[in-house]
Amino acid sequence: MIAIVAVMQIFVSCKKDFLELTPKGTALEDNFYKNETEVMQGIISVYDVTQWGTTGGYTMKMPLLSAASDDCWAGGSNASDQPNWVAYDNFKMDPRIGPQSGLWSKNYTGINRANLILSKIEKATTLSAAFKTRVTAEAKFLRAYFYFDLVRFFGRVPLITSVLATDELYKQVQSTPAQVYAQIEKDLREAYPGLPPTISATEKGRISMGAAKAQLAKVLLYENDNAKLAETITLFEDVNKVGNAYGYALLPNYADIFNPANKFNSESILEIPHSNNAAWSDWGWINGGEGNVGTQFIGMDSYNGDTYSSGWGFCPVTLDLVNALKTDPRFSATIIDGAALKAAGATYNARYQNTDYFIKKYAPLKAFRSASGVAEQNWPIDEIEIRLADTYLMQAEALVKAGSNPARAKELLDAVRARVGLASVPATLDNIYNERRLELATEGHRFFDLVRTGKAVTVLGPVGFKANQSEYLPIPQTEIDVTKGGIKQNPGYIN
Amino acid sequence: MKGKSTFILLIFSLFFSLSLRAQEIDVSGKVTSKSDGLPLPGVSVKIQGTNTGVATDQNGVFRIKVPKSGSVLEFSQIGMATQTFVVNNTQPINIVMTASQSELEEVVVVGYGTQKKSVVTGAISQVKASDLENMPVTRIEQSLQGRTAGLTITTSSGQPGDGATLRIRGTTSINNSEALYIVDGVQVGGGIDYLNQADIESIEVLKDAASAAIYGARAANGVIIVTTKRGNKNGKMSVNYNTYLGTQAPSRKLDLLNATQYATLYNEAEFAANPSVGTPRFPNPSQYGVGTDWQSAVFNNSAKIQNHELSLSGGNEKSTYYSSFGYFDQDGIVASDNSKYKRFTARFNSEHQLAKHIKFGQTIGYTRTNSVGVATNTEYGSPLNRAINIDPITPIVETDPAKYNLPLYTGNPVVRNAQGFPYGISSYAQSEILNPLAALAVAQGRGWSDKIVGNAFVEVEVIKGLKLRSQGGVDLAFWGSDSFTPIYYLNSINQTTITSYNRNTNRGLFWSLENTISYNKAIERHNFTVLLGYSAQKNKGETNGGSKDGIPVNNIKDASLQFPVSRANDVFYGGEYLNTLNSMFARLTYNYDEKYLFTGIVRRDGSSRFGPNNKYGYFPSGSVGWIASNENFFPKNKVVTFLKFRGSYGITGNDNIGDFRYLSTVSGGRNYTLGTSAGLNNGVSPDALSNPDLRWEETSSTDIGMDATLFGNFTITADWYHKKTSGMLLQIAVPGYVGNSGPIGNIADLSNKGFELELGYNKKLGDVSFRVAANASFLTNNIDFLGDDKDFLGGQTVTPQGLEVTRTKVGYAIGSFYGYRSDGLFQTQADITNYKNSAGGLIQPNARPGDIKFRDLNGDGLISDNDREIIGDPTPDFTYGLTFNVAYKGFDMVVLGQGVAGNQIFNALRRFDLPTANYTTAILNRWTGPGTSNTTPRLTLADDNKNYSRVSSLFIEDGSYFRIKTLQLGYSLPTNLIRKAGLNKLRFYVMANNLLTLTKYTGYDPEIGGGSYGVDRGFYPQARTFFAGLNVGF
Repeated sequence: MIAIVAVMQIFVSCKKDFLELTPKGTALEDNFYKNETEVMQGIISVYDVTQWGTTGGYTMKMPLLSAASDDCWAGGSNASDQPNWVAYDNFKMDPRIGPQSGLWSKNYTGINRANLILSKIEKATTLSAAFKTRVTAEAKFLRAYFYFDLVRFFGRVPLITSVLATDELYKQVQSTPAQVYAQIEKDLREAYPGLPPTISATEKGRISMGAAKAQLAKVLLYENDNAKLAETITLFEDVNKVGNAYGYALLPNYADIFNPANKFNSESILEIPHSNNAAWSDWGWINGGEGNVGTQFIGMDSYNGDTYSSGWGFCPVTLDLVNALKTDPRFSATIIDGAALKAAGATYNARYQNTDYFIKKYAPLKAFRSASGVAEQNWPIDEIEIRLADTYLMQAEALVKAGSNPARAKELLDAVRARVGLASVPATLDNIYNERRLELATEGHRFFDLVRTGKAVTVLGPVGFKANQSEYLPIPQTEIDVTKGGIKQNPGYIN
Repeated sequence: MKGKSTFILLIFSLFFSLSLRAQEIDVSGKVTSKSDGLPLPGVSVKIQGTNTGVATDQNGVFRIKVPKSGSVLEFSQIGMATQTFVVNNTQPINIVMTASQSELEEVVVVGYGTQKKSVVTGAISQVKASDLENMPVTRIEQSLQGRTAGLTITTSSGQPGDGATLRIRGTTSINNSEALYIVDGVQVGGGIDYLNQADIESIEVLKDAASAAIYGARAANGVIIVTTKRGNKNGKMSVNYNTYLGTQAPSRKLDLLNATQYATLYNEAEFAANPSVGTPRFPNPSQYGVGTDWQSAVFNNSAKIQNHELSLSGGNEKSTYYSSFGYFDQDGIVASDNSKYKRFTARFNSEHQLAKHIKFGQTIGYTRTNSVGVATNTEYGSPLNRAINIDPITPIVETDPAKYNLPLYTGNPVVRNAQGFPYGISSYAQSEILNPLAALAVAQGRGWSDKIVGNAFVEVEVIKGLKLRSQGGVDLAFWGSDSFTPIYYLNSINQTTITSYNRNTNRGLFWSLENTISYNKAIERHNFTVLLGYSAQKNKGETNGGSKDGIPVNNIKDASLQFPVSRANDVFYGGEYLNTLNSMFARLTYNYDEKYLFTGIVRRDGSSRFGPNNKYGYFPSGSVGWIASNENFFPKNKVVTFLKFRGSYGITGNDNIGDFRYLSTVSGGRNYTLGTSAGLNNGVSPDALSNPDLRWEETSSTDIGMDATLFGNFTITADWYHKKTSGMLLQIAVPGYVGNSGPIGNIADLSNKGFELELGYNKKLGDVSFRVAANASFLTNNIDFLGDDKDFLGGQTVTPQGLEVTRTKVGYAIGSFYGYRSDGLFQTQADITNYKNSAGGLIQPNARPGDIKFRDLNGDGLISDNDREIIGDPTPDFTYGLTFNVAYKGFDMVVLGQGVAGNQIFNALRRFDLPTANYTTAILNRWTGPGTSNTTPRLTLADDNKNYSRVSSLFIEDGSYFRIKTLQLGYSLPTNLIRKAGLNKLRFYVMANNLLTLTKYTGYDPEIGGGSYGVDRGFYPQARTFFAGLNVGF
């Protein structure tokens, strides 16, 4: 008897896997990503991060960067409504206050997911060559996209291009912006050949070759390196030329670009889609939904009237921008004149830093207010991050800087102006920069344009911008704490 | 040649044995007791090595034939030390037996063996059958309450079948602090309430690491070892029948406002919020009279309880058996129809001497339970919370035709009583506050379980002292529940439009195989025992369930999952769990001349729950002892008759960390919108990083103790301990650049320090004997570390607003109360204007006289969330118990008192987020003008000062109590009288449980355990019970 039990026991314990069990019914990172469906779900999760605006506080780029620039004020109900926005608006960020935590973690989440899917693609054996090429290209594009945001917001950041092993988690150090830019260029150069020139209607929102080339050209321009101008111009020309391979063309009517019914129009190159399909209602994790909360932010508070839906009164437009656009044909498509609405019988609450002027591009429109989920979290209004008028002006800028083809530069600048009925002006850098401000007002480009062109101190100095500090956000204090000082703070920010 | 001589030898020995038989000797004698010199009847007298035996008669006299002079007689009786006597020519034989009740001669169960109590070096508390006998408790854990030092037992609720929060030497983990239960060597899950109390021989509580370390990675929260009864070898069968019947009632009701008072005070609150209100909501409060007493409608003052136990046991040298049957039936004192528990138990234990050196044994217990229950401590729909908070104006049932003919009642599927009258629907109560009886009528659910726990072992004694033992154990449990929701209308926001039936069944199987070798040897004065063991166990289970909506019945009795319903209304769900443990262990116990004691243990546990980098854990411990009183130089005296000092240190683990948490799982929902027509695409990504280093939580503990006996009858045991738990599981903080959440890792630390004292005293004065046992425990719990990134964890909240009530914060005890500090009430406007910050501004600009003055703890000149701190602790610092037994001739009496001190209770009885919730009459002493009250704020519906929507020290009450847990009076009929009826025992008793509770706490019951530990949301109190019982032995 005892022998039988003893034998049974030896049998049990000698089975080497007695302690090595695998859970059933749960997808594990180790055994997922086996086939095209699963890898596709992986790449979708990377795309997902591009539409996040609420990681670690509200960080929707379009309104946030407008508040940081001279286009808008922070706004909201009062100075303590969104202190992170107010701090960025007047450049009083410190290691704990400012939008840095959310932007840092959003972009690194995207990078982690991209790194993971790249490593999984290598291991998966059942993928078709075409699928593999395209998804690899997308993952690299997206990794570059997130690093481009990081390098612009933070400057020196850790450069991580693989999933970190346990013993590497706390040991990362920051790379120089040049090293980060080199990686971004590398990823984008490897990405665009693998992407399709055009995207089918059911896949709109995935990255095209045109978008990747435009993004690469933009990155090169941001590097301010004259040696790279020739390549920049070539890339932009490929995107901008009449009869380009991607179907890009300026819309005849400027206001149509921002009509939410006009998703993925011919002028849109890089567009972040939003929808109310997830019918979201979780205030603790707004990122889980697909809506654009930025739209809710910029709406007029407690608005009661035609056309618009009520918002929260953030990002009132500065009188400076109002005056710059006052006589411009693009004014009515860019700025809501609150006083005029009131005169017509509408009401809204004047909030912090109220100017009675509000952002119109991406504003909350009654007709698009979501009937499902919490409406505030489900605005189905896309963000256009790169559009053709932008790439026209960037190419014009590169051409002028290079001095290579003034005629083409003028042609591009004229095309942008002619679309809204404005006469030609000389293609000088100042004119191009001025045109960028007016054409692209409140679309989130102005702040970085001021920084990269060296105009930030002049323009934003009066509201607090400090040279050699305010160009970059502070590194989140928690990052320095968790790495026990391994990650260093940016210049000028004292804990 | 050889065969022939064997044959001759056989013949010769046969002849020899026959001739021996012819030389049988008649032996007679008398057995008396040493303690009182009286004759001892019923003592077993047996020829050693045979089954031949007799018993002493009424006068202690026996007569037996023995084969020869030199035969050995063995005298045994329960409670007496067994004696042997070598037959010689002296007759009659006089045997004087001594009681084996001297505590220090007893053995304790130590895990994979037993040990003589006098040489034990660990901290072990023991509760024996004799302590439990005739002392009915509804759950076994309760029998430990008040009886053992170092245990904090807090009842989860008074609902029949509900358990208790049991902590051995404090809360050892922020995650899972459940003790390990070992019944007859088998680990059992889900507590030990399945056991029949009468089946228990002893319960040992292994408190320090030195004794618990033999259970390694499972032992950090302490170990409770239960041993069930075996039969006696005395050749007699004994039959015992125990029963009791009882009636239960709540010991306290709250004084709530009656309808007139309610209406009056509501008007006052309304006016305070809006002085221009005009006509108040209740223009004529007195019209409502006294109104409804909801508590009486919910409580039952005569809930029944009954228990029957029958056991048969006996045996001889070859085999023993013990079998029993039990039936227990209890109704709850709250909503009795919805709160019931029934338990049927059966047990069969046996042991057999298969051959001279081979023993085989088994235990098997089967338990079936059936229960229905109500929510016991929640503000969201417990019957008591509703009874407390609903307005007293609404009637229980609407009997006024003018009312019940209103469309509200005729046009909706309202709930009706047996007479067909609709239950009253309140026009005032809000949210979850419904007519409690109507809500109970539609809450139809029940639970059941079948559980089989058993073991079987073979033990071979190869040579004297060397034993090989193999044991297999099984815990097979089936359990499930079903519930039915009819179509009902309770009010406009609580109604259903479709029936729903939900049923689940679960199965859990635990098995273990354990092999041990032990060797016990004494070489001169060196006594040692070595134990080596090997163990493998697997724990797995599954759950299956489903629900159907829209089945065409209106009560649970007719409900079935067989009804066809549409696919969308037909839901199935399920899941599985699985874990394994593989271990080796060794123990060396050594003593020199019972003076110098040493025990060393090491166990290695490998678990499927641990990450690949930490698959195996080692758990060592060592303990030493010195019995000073056994030293030759120790002066022989009558004061200190026994004195022992002990010390131990060891490391144990807690493997209750969940299955597979070291792995990284992936989830969907990381979606993206693709396409112009906006389709939603599912994205999948890992939920968190994996952690291959994940391992057990580890507790190291030091214990220093002493045991002493003074004057031969006064025992003292004292222990000081310090336990440190490290590596408690929490999410690891990783840098943001990692891009995903950190995994669960071994992060947090806490510690428990305490002191325990157990005292015992026996005395016999003539016919009166009495025994007193007392124990006391002091305990401090401290959270030491919660990770680099945080210094607190959130805890319990109250009201749907989620107001934080407890926090687990570094530097404080686990789950401490957290909130604002009240400095009394503002008596006058001047008090408010004088409460200024450094800038000269008012600290509480919204306050009015009669509002709470909050302390500006951070000194920033305003009252905000940052002005909260730890304001109390729900865990007692001090627990104590006192048992007093006295016997006089056939009468016996027991009093068991038990208490705690130094804890607080958060009183959340009133739903202060609901303006129409009723109050206790304490509100009649509210602030109404300067000097009227400094503790009960003014009434107002507006509450601009957040008197009620801020958790403050005003709601914290003293939770100390002392309770007469048990008082019992019994009478046993004289043995000589009942012998004639063939009985050897006949005892009657009456008993009261929870007869008296002394406390300052104003709620129902100050003992609030379970998930809402220390927070009273309308706690289902323990009953005060009166029993009458009978014990019969054949």
